[in-house]
Amino acid sequence: MPTESEILHVGIDLGTSRSAISASNGERFVVDSFVGWPADMVAKKVLKRDVLIGHEAVANRTMLDLHRPLERGLLKEGSDKDVEAVRELLKHLLRLVGVSSNGKVDSSMVRAVVGVPAASLRTNKQYLRNSMKGIVDSLMIVSEPFAVAYGLNALLHTMIIDIGAGTTDFCVMKGRYPGEEDQRTLTIAGDSLDTQLLKLIEERYPQANITIYMVREWKEKHSFVGEAPKRVLVTAPVKGVPTELDITNEMKTACETLLPPTIETMLDLLSRVEPEFQERVRNNIILSGGGGLIRNLARSLEEALKQVGGGKVTHMQDPVFVGSDGGLALALDAPDEDWEKLTA
Amino acid sequence: MRGGAINRVKRHVLRQAVADNLDTIRGLPPRSLRPGRRFTRLFLRRAPLVIIPLILAGFAFISSTGGTRAAKIAAPVAKSPAPKVAQASMTPMLMADTLEPVSASAFPLSVHRVVLDAGHGGTDPGASSTSNVSEKEITLDIQRRLATLLRTNGFEVVATRDNDRLIPLRERARLANGSASDIFVSIHVNSIPHPNNHGVETYYLGPTNDPALTRLAASENLTSGYALADMRKLLDRVYADVRRDESHRLANAVQSQMFSGLRGVDPGLENWGVKRAPFIVLVATEMPAILAEVGCLSNDREAEMLRSGAYRQQIAQALFHGIHAYASANDAPQKRGI
Repeated sequence: MPTESEILHVGIDLGTSRSAISASNGERFVVDSFVGWPADMVAKKVLKRDVLIGHEAVANRTMLDLHRPLERGLLKEGSDKDVEAVRELLKHLLRLVGVSSNGKVDSSMVRAVVGVPAASLRTNKQYLRNSMKGIVDSLMIVSEPFAVAYGLNALLHTMIIDIGAGTTDFCVMKGRYPGEEDQRTLTIAGDSLDTQLLKLIEERYPQANITIYMVREWKEKHSFVGEAPKRVLVTAPVKGVPTELDITNEMKTACETLLPPTIETMLDLLSRVEPEFQERVRNNIILSGGGGLIRNLARSLEEALKQVGGGKVTHMQDPVFVGSDGGLALALDAPDEDWEKLTA
Repeated sequence: MRGGAINRVKRHVLRQAVADNLDTIRGLPPRSLRPGRRFTRLFLRRAPLVIIPLILAGFAFISSTGGTRAAKIAAPVAKSPAPKVAQASMTPMLMADTLEPVSASAFPLSVHRVVLDAGHGGTDPGASSTSNVSEKEITLDIQRRLATLLRTNGFEVVATRDNDRLIPLRERARLANGSASDIFVSIHVNSIPHPNNHGVETYYLGPTNDPALTRLAASENLTSGYALADMRKLLDRVYADVRRDESHRLANAVQSQMFSGLRGVDPGLENWGVKRAPFIVLVATEMPAILAEVGCLSNDREAEMLRSGAYRQQIAQALFHGIHAYASANDAPQKRGI
């Protein structure tokens, strides 16, 4: 049995858009959840690599067979490439915190807690576990909102709304491991917002040459609901000439598509909480995920809560590592005897 | 919450998270799906699905070792009440390495009750056209028209929504699963970035992985007897095969009728075919399930057509013919070589 100092514990947030890792050696990294393989021999020669990950993969996407392994919040079954992409992403994250390609850090043992979108855990848990086999010594897979709740000690009378890229996950924590009835998933999330925004901008500026990747960047900088904090001005080529475009209204319309289903699901889940605890849950709603950073979103949700007696919604200032930190906390708290049973 | 109480809750949820992972390692279904009654119900419901192929494979095994006579009588025996012969045929089946692929054609399943799912609703309008026609309104209207056609022709219909309200996808699947229906048809309208194109397409759930699972269950049974967990794996795997193949056949029937039925009134309509995708309603429903994209609101001309009741009726009729063709094929299994 290795000593505590020979064991590396890691928490990994395997997200649809971004994946983050927090390790017990103090290292923390985040990468875009893109994995690409050179599309042909020429691309391989130019890139001089067998596989590219994260921002590098996006930047070189024209030469790559590019994959986002958890698109729509699910690991697509039957797709070997997507499984391979998950494995490459995990290995890459582990390398970043010092784990060598054979899965070892200076001959020590690696124990990982991986948080995944709740939908993927509900529908193909076994498949997900098999896909991650053999990368670390011991593995625990949990739903992302649960990892967030654990990391924040928000395990009782709390609702986590995790707005990711592929899915928006809702989870009510009732002092137990969340079951089916405590969770909801919407596929309206960052990606659908990008698609909507692209469509609206193309309708208004049909001559502009815009990609979904540009739209995603703009959204991450300028997203808002309600009153615009300032005009949203971006630059894109129009007939080849860089041109400034005002996309304030389009940004507002696209971001506000999130509101109705989010509010409806939040209120529906609240109504299913035992009546004596509803007020406490209403006052403990936490927004996490990249979507939690949309300006005025917390305030809009609080507005909606007024119809059921009011409540408080807080958003994480730095949502990037909140899931992986939660995973690391789980990894460190799990006793050795449990880890020994969770071999990967 | 005080520190001691937090730690107590943390220990409690951590134990449950570990238990959940251990269940996955052992191949057990989620705890929330595992109360005794549900397992028994599932077992009883699905037992015929495994017993019939067991019989067929058992006779195939006998025929491969004992001449042609057994093979000749395999088909009639398959139609006889399963419990009488199950015991005799189970042993050769579990020893044989011929568990898959399990053909859906082994299960002549009649269609009596249909779940219709009108996409979107309430505060979720779905796609919309430049002239402000929304997907939720079209899907509901087509669903109502289709329900009338189905009921008139002797089918029972269960609707996931019958008015303009948002039903979460999970709720739709739960409703469908609780209704003891035979097939699930979700109606949607597309919107694509290319306004000049428009077409129809039909989705079904992509294939499950792990073709070795049934073999694994059989080999485990050789040494451990018929443990419930093993049998459950076997049943689920067989059922997954059947559901996928049946969903594929239903999707083919509906897509073919939709395209041929609507092309006459809309010559520019494109056939985008049958596709596989992991839509939540398809993943979570327990019966053969498809999602039909019956048109394209991003095409102005088609959006205009979709406003008209006459065109919606034609879509409903095309969907009805697809469902009817699938159901008729199921009611006449001898035509498919059983």
